[in-house]
Amino acid sequence: MGNTKPKNFETSLEELERIVRELEQGELTLEKSLELFEQGVKLSRECQDRLTQAERRIEILMRDNQGRAAVRPFDPESELSGGSDGDDSQ
Amino acid sequence: MQPLLSSLFDQTERQPLSVSELTGMIRGELEKRFSSVWVEGEISNFRAHGSGHWYFTLKDEFAQLRSACYRSSNQRIRFRPEDGLQVRARGRLGVYEQKGEYQLIVEALEPVGAGALQLAFEQTKARLQAEGLFAAELKRAIPLLPRRVGVITSPSGAAIRDILNVISRRTRTVHVLFTSARVQGDGAAQEIVRAIKFLNDFHARALKDGRLDDAIDVMIVGRGGGSIEDLWAFNEEVVARAIRSSAIPVISAVGHETDFTIADFVADLRAPTPSAAAEIVAAHEAQLCSLLGTLTTNLARSIRYRIASSRTEVQELALSPAFDAVAARLHEAMVATGAAEHRLRTAITSTVQRAQRRVGAATHSLSPVHLSSAVRAARTRFESLSKARDAGIATRLETARQQLAMLAAALDAMSPLKVLERGYAIAHDAQGHIVREASTMTIGDALRLRLWKGVVDCRVEGTENE
Repeated sequence: MGNTKPKNFETSLEELERIVRELEQGELTLEKSLELFEQGVKLSRECQDRLTQAERRIEILMRDNQGRAAVRPFDPESELSGGSDGDDSQ
Repeated sequence: MQPLLSSLFDQTERQPLSVSELTGMIRGELEKRFSSVWVEGEISNFRAHGSGHWYFTLKDEFAQLRSACYRSSNQRIRFRPEDGLQVRARGRLGVYEQKGEYQLIVEALEPVGAGALQLAFEQTKARLQAEGLFAAELKRAIPLLPRRVGVITSPSGAAIRDILNVISRRTRTVHVLFTSARVQGDGAAQEIVRAIKFLNDFHARALKDGRLDDAIDVMIVGRGGGSIEDLWAFNEEVVARAIRSSAIPVISAVGHETDFTIADFVADLRAPTPSAAAEIVAAHEAQLCSLLGTLTTNLARSIRYRIASSRTEVQELALSPAFDAVAARLHEAMVATGAAEHRLRTAITSTVQRAQRRVGAATHSLSPVHLSSAVRAARTRFESLSKARDAGIATRLETARQQLAMLAAALDAMSPLKVLERGYAIAHDAQGHIVREASTMTIGDALRLRLWKGVVDCRVEGTENE
């Protein structure tokens, strides 16, 4: 279990699933069960954080005057003004 | 034809034309007459020259026509001519005077039957497929929970609106990074390619700088519906290759469900529409939230269950009969101990009480009042006794002496021995009784006579009562 790098969400979720499955089979010692439970709680919290930490953002990636990449917020309401380049609306 | 022929004959009568002159005249006539023709035939001997020009022959059963399609014209032709292909060509006749040859200068070319674009599509598809660009092994998984999604499309099209709508509606946490590119018209393919590279560069730099949060998890490349011509950029080989070499997994989202483009085949995942692509990216957030919720609940439930079952086990063990017997014996022992303790306490109490009573009595009798009265009584008695003794002791001694003398004399006088000395005897019968009356005796009875000195045994010979 690498502590250095945040585990990716899928891996954490899979591990959590495996732990729950093992616990549900109920063939472990109480001690081992508690150990797994503790791990499971940790993973669950990590996943929860991954899901809730970020906030939805909409940004546009452009080149600035020097041709460097620049990110700025993108407001679809004001910036999307029906198109000349138009694909037909679906 | 009439004026031409007659002019030729006219010339022969005067002086002959030079070859150049004649050829020039033919060229002029032919190029004027066939400045714009449509001709249909089969392509053979197709050659693409290094200069970018194409050379081939159009033929049918009975004739052949040398043809050329210069670079400036063939750049607009989407498909690639190949031998055996039945085509319609539009162009003009040109005469190459040095060789005295004429050829069709092709300005437009389209396949007979399928449309040119359709053919071009099939050709590109077959070529890239043969190259292995569509191989299933190359497809990368789309992350279950993409945090940052790159979107490449036109800023003025329906696609960007649809994608942003879906993502806004379906997710709370997905971050969209939009990069605009024209998606139709000349140069659209190149813009799309540039945008793909732009996002990839941005992604690579984020990874290199360790800004993991800026890394792009997945990219949507697409546009809304349109004609095959409108969608064409997504059939271009350059776009296909840019998609395939993207380090970021790509979801293609071009046109409607029924539109298939080369981009769709080469992408890691094909979404039927831009909205659908956004759904794919967004769908899992809610699902994962609920999955995570369920897992967390199950986690808690299973550990509660596990603990409860352990508790039950312990309780069952605690209730086992083995423990009952021990408990019963403990109880007995406790009862016995209790009884013994009670007896002991009672015994001690009564002993102590007895002792207390004795101590009390002793204390009482030792009390000064009691002692002094006892001492007084004893002294009184002692004093009266002393007086009586002093008064009576002399007379009593004299009387006693006299009595003693009289008694001694009487005793001496009454002594049987004294009587016997004087000759009396005492008769005893056989039983030893003293015989006082003759009537108690019969003849023959034994009599023992006690004399002063010695004894005589004798028998009664006769009695006489007085």
